[in-house]
Amino acid sequence: MSRYLDKSIIEINKMLKEKVIKPIDLVEEAFARIEENENLNAFITLNKEEAIETAKKLENLEVDNILFGIPIAIKDNILTKDLRTTCASHMLDNFIPIYDATVISKLKEKHMIIVGKTNMDEFAMGSTSKTSYFGAPHNPWNYNKISGGSSGGSAVCVSSRITPFALGSDTGGSIRQPASYCGVVGMKPTYGRVSRYGLVAFASSLDQIGPLTRNVYENAVLLNAIVGMDNNDLTSANKKEEDFTRKIGEDISGMKIAIPNYFMSDIVSDEIREKIRSIIDILKQSGCTVDYIDIKYLENAVLLYQIIAMGEASSNLARYDGIRYGHSKENPKDIDELYYGSREEGFGDEVKRRIMVGSYILSGDNAKIYYDKAMSIRSDIRTSFLEAFKKYDLIIGPTTTTTAYGLDVEDPNPLKSFMDDVLVIPVNMAGLPGLNIPIGFSKDNLPIGMHIIGNDFDEATIYKLASYIEKKLNLDLTPKGCDKSV
Amino acid sequence: MSNYIPTIGIEIHVELKTNTKIFSDSINGYGMGANTLVNEIDLGYPGTLPLINKEVINIAIKACKVLNCKIRKEMHFDRKNYFYPDNPKNYQITQARTPIGYDGYVQINVDGVDKKIEIEEMHIEEDTCKSAHRKNVTLLDFNRAGVPLIEIVTKPCISSAKEAMLYIEKLKETLLYADISDCKMEEGSLRCDCNVSLRKNKEDKLGVKVEVKNIGSISNVGLSIEKEIARQSILYDKGEIFKEQTRRFDSTINDTVLMRIKETGNDYRYFPEPDIPYIHLTDQMINDALKNIPILPDERRKIYQKKNMSNINIEKIIANRSLSDYLNDMLDTDIDFQVASNLLLGDISSYLNKNNKNIFETKLTKEKFIDLVSKTKSRILTSKNIKDILNSVLESDNSIDEIISSNNISNITDDNELKDIISKVLVENENSVNDYINGHDRAFKYLMGQVMKMSKGKADPLIASNLLKEFLIKK
Repeated sequence: MSRYLDKSIIEINKMLKEKVIKPIDLVEEAFARIEENENLNAFITLNKEEAIETAKKLENLEVDNILFGIPIAIKDNILTKDLRTTCASHMLDNFIPIYDATVISKLKEKHMIIVGKTNMDEFAMGSTSKTSYFGAPHNPWNYNKISGGSSGGSAVCVSSRITPFALGSDTGGSIRQPASYCGVVGMKPTYGRVSRYGLVAFASSLDQIGPLTRNVYENAVLLNAIVGMDNNDLTSANKKEEDFTRKIGEDISGMKIAIPNYFMSDIVSDEIREKIRSIIDILKQSGCTVDYIDIKYLENAVLLYQIIAMGEASSNLARYDGIRYGHSKENPKDIDELYYGSREEGFGDEVKRRIMVGSYILSGDNAKIYYDKAMSIRSDIRTSFLEAFKKYDLIIGPTTTTTAYGLDVEDPNPLKSFMDDVLVIPVNMAGLPGLNIPIGFSKDNLPIGMHIIGNDFDEATIYKLASYIEKKLNLDLTPKGCDKSV
Repeated sequence: MSNYIPTIGIEIHVELKTNTKIFSDSINGYGMGANTLVNEIDLGYPGTLPLINKEVINIAIKACKVLNCKIRKEMHFDRKNYFYPDNPKNYQITQARTPIGYDGYVQINVDGVDKKIEIEEMHIEEDTCKSAHRKNVTLLDFNRAGVPLIEIVTKPCISSAKEAMLYIEKLKETLLYADISDCKMEEGSLRCDCNVSLRKNKEDKLGVKVEVKNIGSISNVGLSIEKEIARQSILYDKGEIFKEQTRRFDSTINDTVLMRIKETGNDYRYFPEPDIPYIHLTDQMINDALKNIPILPDERRKIYQKKNMSNINIEKIIANRSLSDYLNDMLDTDIDFQVASNLLLGDISSYLNKNNKNIFETKLTKEKFIDLVSKTKSRILTSKNIKDILNSVLESDNSIDEIISSNNISNITDDNELKDIISKVLVENENSVNDYINGHDRAFKYLMGQVMKMSKGKADPLIASNLLKEFLIKK
């Protein structure tokens, strides 16, 4: 097997342009890699025939952009026309979308080639990808560890070098946290930056699609391709077109960086805090100022998230009723049995739990007591972040409190899994952009990630710092066992 | 009569006359093949998000204005969560917390007394799909899913079936004239639910509320309220206790039937719709929406009264929007509006109904109509003439004069000429003259017929009949 996909995207693009290789070579290689890594369970559905056909068609076209002919994997909650989209749920395990999500149309315009749909937590509800109806994916760095979630499959796919690119979605850390556990770059853009049209809604006011990639530059390149105001999504923002790679390579001296005390408190493992401190040292040596600051309500973010996300989810998931699409109970005796039966059989435990809690939260006066109150504190969190950004360019911290833990860890307390996302959730609350950049490894050789948070719509500055750190550290981020040279 | 005081509140759903649906660009149409006007948004497909049809906001602003509502400039949509097969997302996008309109009224006239029916609030929402029950299955037609609605809710301030009917008539007329809805109750574009409760004294708190749903016509609104008042009175008289409930009007038995008892208040788990940003209505948007509101019925009534049109004609003209619009084109002329309205409501209406046409689809230009009215008033044209030439008037490009000459119309309006004819008729029909003198009024008609016959239809009937009367009195 050729190993073209280990090369940088710029090199691959050059080879395509010079006709040294054809898109079909990349597609065949991607599927060979999928086969090689089958045990990681990164994919739910493969798109082999269609991908090969597309690749062949591309042979007659001019290589007109850097993403031309490049294989990409898509989280299975983003709708792909004629390609099964399950949300890792029995409810949708036979669901074939009739339209493409806006991001998919954009990727197709760039002539990217979709190789398959990646594994995830059911309806993106979880932080381990273990709630998937199709079984959990495995961490390429250690088969017995979780990949994180909910975009676990996408993180595994990129980490194991199956494809250079994957899309995920992030409602409460679901891109950044698995990116951290798997040692890849993952960006949750500013809320409104990327159209949500065709993303199966979990919590509408928080959901955002974003790129997972091997390095910072490629992340910015993929973000370039998927952003933009969409008339089909009223919450998408009308922003001027910009090149997110434009600040990559700029000098970082003089940058003002803040680190919230809460992010470095004892909720984070010593090993990770140590690693973050070493990065702070590097930044200071490079001419940045790094101040410890307080940001209000950070410690409440998880609680607010539970209220807002579950409340919205209970409503968003009401449409799965067995009538128009999705799993439908056989021979129900009446409409109630159709509802109860289809949802009882179609949804897994975590989804049901969240629907129940969410329904309770919105019930009667609770909507005002919980949901409205949470929304109000949420806007306070945003305000306190924006306050900090008046003084600082970026805010940093660890992405996760620990490294990836064992797949066999079963916590009897379902609320505890939310704590995996305690450091990333505040960013969704504030609607801000946040990125995970790998900064090293733990003693047991598991990736450690740093979280870089930017001001509203200032992804470019995040990439600037991230690329600097990436270059400075020059880590080998290819998991052992995947590095088979050409 | 009942010994109780009824309190009635009315909720009306009106489908808005827009080109497309409220949250998708599917066509807003009626009477098309089932499920032909649908897309993934209307079906509540995973991943879909609502768009917002600006036309809906504009029409709703207009509705606020014509129903005298205050307009809420900062508003948002909410989700009303409930499971029902006709509700594709299992939540309906509506406005629970910030209805666009509030504190409005509709003025009615009850037996000569003006009364304001107060409107509590008016909000925008999406229609559900239509279900059809066939034996064991329910069929769903999503053409209606996402059709824009406004719901208009009165305060519990209506005190009789008559007031209720007058309110709906007035509301319907206003919305129709303001181009907000076609208000066809038979097609469901105006739907009415009534809340009826009784109490013994004005000081008592309101009695148990009964909601009557799905009433298909204004007269049935009146009937269902009367039936409810009677039914509840008997229950109270007997001392029976009943629960808050929802009933429907069954037009086959002309009575209300129980649908369901309301055990507890419905829990719709309302919360602000996160997929639609909050909307701020600027003064500019409001002013733009309020441009070009056609003249409303009450204004038209005043104008027609000034033009000395009879009240009967005024109401008949107003009941026919296109005739009224046609007539309003004549406001800058000095034609006789009573004569004009008689013409429009008489032979012209019969023609239009028979040919299923609208007056604007005929060849009756403004010029021609003015001529027709003045020639009718000056009796150059008799009612018989008009019947004879109407088809040409409405269907040909010829002027009235051309039509008159090609039809050889020349009426005998000259008294002397008519007197000669009448004298001859009286001589030739002595028996009938005697019959008339002996009190047989029918004989007069016969004699008139003879006069017309002898004049070969050219006698002006009004003048001739007056002269005939004079002759007979002298006998």
